[in-house]
Amino acid sequence: MHELDMLPCDQIQQTLVLYIDHELPSEQEYQIYQIHFEQCPPCNEIMVHESAILAMMQNLLRSTCNEQAPDDLKRKIKEQTDALAGQSQVQFFSSSTTITNFTFDGTTSIQVTQEFTHEIRHDFTEGE
Amino acid sequence: MDTENLDLAVIDRASESVAQKKARFERDAMQYTNQMYAAALRYTKDPHDAQDLVQDTYAKAFVSFHQFEPGTNLKAWMYRILSTTFINNYRKDQRRPQISDGELEDWQIYDASSHTSDQGRSAEDVALDGIVDLDVRAALAAMPEDFRMAVYLADVEGFSYKEIAEIVGAPAGTVMSRLHRGRKLLRASLAEYAKDRGFNRGEIDA
Repeated sequence: MHELDMLPCDQIQQTLVLYIDHELPSEQEYQIYQIHFEQCPPCNEIMVHESAILAMMQNLLRSTCNEQAPDDLKRKIKEQTDALAGQSQVQFFSSSTTITNFTFDGTTSIQVTQEFTHEIRHDFTEGE
Repeated sequence: MDTENLDLAVIDRASESVAQKKARFERDAMQYTNQMYAAALRYTKDPHDAQDLVQDTYAKAFVSFHQFEPGTNLKAWMYRILSTTFINNYRKDQRRPQISDGELEDWQIYDASSHTSDQGRSAEDVALDGIVDLDVRAALAAMPEDFRMAVYLADVEGFSYKEIAEIVGAPAGTVMSRLHRGRKLLRASLAEYAKDRGFNRGEIDA
């Protein structure tokens, strides 16, 4: 444990943000920092201060950047998904390798092999 | 292509039925529309473009949905599509406020200066209290795009450096640099707004 005390203050401070962001590479590194903070009031003060400022900024950002998607957008996405799914089905129907299942609840499921799925997606992308 | 192969393929998500894929997509991906829209606003800075960007993102996501590995981070996957779509389709004719990657690697320079003295610790800290949403939006919008998105993805969405690197397609070291510089910029900018506001907060958009 003695060696853990040896990390210099400037090194701790330069990489402090990694500690605050929980981005240190290992649990052992966290221990090194924690021991340093316990033994070094100036570094500890800086850490507490920086953590508080960052938390404050994050709270501000989160409460600000919380716009709701307009209902119209959600409706368009839903319609678009329906259309894209329908488009796939039309192409699947035209293929001789599809298996079509008509289920009791009225939905239709079509199963094709992977290579055909890729081919169809490719066609779709080009047609966009 | 015999029956046996087709039977085996049924358990593969690449060949799930269209109806199954659509149901899975609507269940899993549609929950992120608000977040995608808020992020798209940060990218485009325009509500109309943001809606188009989100809609395009969902089209691409649906068409590629069989490539998404279930159990991995769908939100990060959606964000990557959003980011790529923005870069490829929406940014083309804008002049991009860009900083060369060489300058971005020295992310450590951020620290020493920011928490020692000259930014006026006490003044800045107290001042952030007076900030209103409009200020935050304006301060974010004024930042270079790379910085803005790094801050947004880390501090609003809580993505890790590594996840952000994958979303924006940049090395993790570059992401760190953008994040730290972006935070510093935002902090300084918000402190300015707060100073201007004085004690008038709460009467502006509350």
